[in-house]
Amino acid sequence: MSSTPAFAVGATVWARNRDWTAWLLGIAVVIVTAVFLIYPLGNALLLAFVKNGEAPSATSLTLANFTRFFTAASYQKALWNSVYSGLAATLLATVIALPMAYAAARIAIRYRGLIFAMTVVPLISPPFIGAYAWIILLGRNGTITQWVHEWTGWTLPSIYGPPGVILALALSYFPYVFLIVQGALAAADPHIEEAALMAGASRARILRTITLPLVFPAIAAAMLIVFIKAIGDFGVPSILGGEFQVLPTLIYYQIHGFFNLNAASAIAAVNVLLTLLAMLALAWVNRHHNFVTVGGTSRAAARFANPGARAFGNAYCWIVIGIAILPQLVIAVASFAARWPGTMLPESYTLDHYRVVWSQLTGPIVNSLILAGAATAVCMIFGTVTAYASARGRMRARWALDLTIMLPFVLPGLVVGVAYLTAFNSGPLVLTGTATILVLAYFTRRVAFIFRSVAAAIAQIDPKLEDASKICGAHWSATMRRVMVPLAAPAILAGAVLVFSTLIGEISATVLLYSAQWKTISIAIYELVLGDQLAEASAIGTITTVLTLLLVLVASRLAGKNMAELFR
Amino acid sequence: MARASLSVRNLSKEFTTGASRVSAVDNVSFDVYGGEFFTMLGPSGCGKTTTLRVIAGLERATSGEITVDGSDFMSVPPQRRNIGMVFQSYALFPHLSIFENVAYGLRLRGIGADEIRRRVAATLTLLQLEPYAARHPAVLSGGQQQRVSIARALVYEPTMLLLDEPLANLDAKLRVMMREEIRALQRRLGITTLYVTHDQEEATAVSDRLAVFNHGRLIQLGTPEEIYARPQTLFVADFIGRANFLPVRLIDPMRPDAGAILRNGTVLRTDRQVPLEAHETRTLSVDDGGVIMIRPEHLALHASAGDTACRVLRVQLLGGLIRYTVQSDASSAENIVETTRPLPGIEEGGGAYLSIPSADAILYHR
Repeated sequence: MSSTPAFAVGATVWARNRDWTAWLLGIAVVIVTAVFLIYPLGNALLLAFVKNGEAPSATSLTLANFTRFFTAASYQKALWNSVYSGLAATLLATVIALPMAYAAARIAIRYRGLIFAMTVVPLISPPFIGAYAWIILLGRNGTITQWVHEWTGWTLPSIYGPPGVILALALSYFPYVFLIVQGALAAADPHIEEAALMAGASRARILRTITLPLVFPAIAAAMLIVFIKAIGDFGVPSILGGEFQVLPTLIYYQIHGFFNLNAASAIAAVNVLLTLLAMLALAWVNRHHNFVTVGGTSRAAARFANPGARAFGNAYCWIVIGIAILPQLVIAVASFAARWPGTMLPESYTLDHYRVVWSQLTGPIVNSLILAGAATAVCMIFGTVTAYASARGRMRARWALDLTIMLPFVLPGLVVGVAYLTAFNSGPLVLTGTATILVLAYFTRRVAFIFRSVAAAIAQIDPKLEDASKICGAHWSATMRRVMVPLAAPAILAGAVLVFSTLIGEISATVLLYSAQWKTISIAIYELVLGDQLAEASAIGTITTVLTLLLVLVASRLAGKNMAELFR
Repeated sequence: MARASLSVRNLSKEFTTGASRVSAVDNVSFDVYGGEFFTMLGPSGCGKTTTLRVIAGLERATSGEITVDGSDFMSVPPQRRNIGMVFQSYALFPHLSIFENVAYGLRLRGIGADEIRRRVAATLTLLQLEPYAARHPAVLSGGQQQRVSIARALVYEPTMLLLDEPLANLDAKLRVMMREEIRALQRRLGITTLYVTHDQEEATAVSDRLAVFNHGRLIQLGTPEEIYARPQTLFVADFIGRANFLPVRLIDPMRPDAGAILRNGTVLRTDRQVPLEAHETRTLSVDDGGVIMIRPEHLALHASAGDTACRVLRVQLLGGLIRYTVQSDASSAENIVETTRPLPGIEEGGGAYLSIPSADAILYHR
């Protein structure tokens, strides 16, 4: 090879462009983390100890906001209701999901892929959309209510209150138990069960003494996740609760009724405490009961193929799926129904509801798309940078970064809403009523999707690739642009689609932060449901569900996983 | 192609893990001459790779100096050192074609498209990779991937080529082929080359000079012949090639050249005496004053007469070599003798006589 002055040319170019990108991004990450993640949560915690309406100072500190949990009946009730509906929903979800998980992992049932795809539907569509479907079915003039009355003369108990809330929550969140436990059952080393069989144990005994104890950690972990989700849910209890108050609805009424930020902060703190207790339990389960067997085999457990088992497995899975996606089906039907007077199916069909949506609700749809889109863009940038820092960085404070990003992800949306209201309602940065506050709250709640997805992807990339790029002459920003981002792109996009699709129907943070100008799809549905315009609510709900399903399908294609795996 | 010369002075690198500091490279100095094939050799964790990575700029040294052609190299960021580097894992960019992998360094230097095409094509030809230009790394064999990674490192005409265990992921036959290829290419281009390996056979086969590392320190520097014939420490003697070690007492501990007494009382006056490193004396038992080292091909085995009677435990045919494992009262351990031709009258299970030529033996003493 001949010698050319090419390198000399390159060298002068480099000398001019010193690379500050890494530093700038790092500083940006620290600022964003401090201002939009740590400050709001810390501030809300502080306000919980301050007298209502006063500025935080040494004299205005009080425990009064908390003592109401001992004195006021409504507070005590809400706390108790949260715990009890959360526990009941968790138990019901587990009871529903365990046989299904066992069937999917250990019985040779058909259409497994389809079953997995269907179980994702309740996870994708916002729980409160399921909630008002139950009103259509089991409300005072509901289809099933009327039907039962006609045929048996019985009057079903009211859907409003604890039964409806627990049912809707359980059916929204049972897929977590199904997916996690099914995964653990499928991963368990089949040799262990075979050894028990050789030792003379019966199938039932093996199930009781080997299989269930082996997957116990997975069951416990899944139950805690369902509990955390259930006690943070606002949409379902606010639509189906009636007089039945839980902590998130109590927060909502403290703010919408009295604009008492301090009381709301205190309730939020208690709600966070419950969530943290569940998280600690989850961490404990993960640490102490990890039986994941590192076997030398990749052989899957044998699946029962006898006709009886298969018939049971098929029937059970499809009945559960049928019940779980019934709300979405009902809403789809209701959105086309001109008259549905408690009959099995509507008497006539129409497109009028969609016309109403088209003429009156394009505003909220556009708003939701803009807000979710902007939040997704912020999440993509911030989530990717922090994921890179966490996966590659040599910082000692990595755990702090992980915690800061993961905490808002598991906190109830109402809590994030309160934190943002208190942080940006006054003081140096006033954002109340703007689109920015919604975008930032969305970002806070969802950045973990991209963070986790990208961190996992980067951990798979050989660090030597970065060394090689550097040696070839690339600065950090060039290595990012030319090597790391292209390689992590599927993970970034998959996370982004997941963020976007789950933000379209976000209600729990939105309900505290939206303004008339920035009303979203979820708020529009909420108002329609409260105004008893269920048909129009169904039309826009159907649009939302179909849109999110399509997007999640795209995300799963991008990530090369099936849809169910995205939620694990 | 550039024939840069490299000078490393008092290089140290410490890693802090928690509260403890681990010294990975400990006060290492050496020079690499322009156009030389220089190998850093040692067991894993000996500091050879860390030294290479410091030279590349991928690790920051705790102290020391590195100069290239007399000018300071430490303050130059790795992007601007203009060196080529080949990694054990190849580190090819999986999302880029072979052409784009090789073109990578040129694109970063802002070179025009025509010039890039011409230079990449020339480099691909040099490494016999033209048919694969459009493919992606994943579909290439290990040997082909290794050649792509060499092409990527050479295309922008670096001042030095650094290779970090480049053959470790290849199977035995391919390893020998590739090392010949790398050596031939290096000769042809005349590029200053730093090579890191833990395989002493590979190192002695390709290098102009090699540096043996252990526990972060450079133990011995020299041509492969020098190091094989005159290892300066027991570690080097043991690490490079095969060796017999026979513990001895000294006739006069003050004068090692006075002679050494083997276990069976035989006195041997070796031509060479080397003082042991302080930490190596600990491996001796208290009565012993030293160890005699002799290579298997230098031990003489006779059917009828010799210094020491021995039993022949095993006779093994190893390719072109015959290895005799013998046991005598000259040492408690078994000894090995290697010859290129079978020795008449010596059979497994039989007896023989062993001679230790004083010219080829080295005494390592306290």
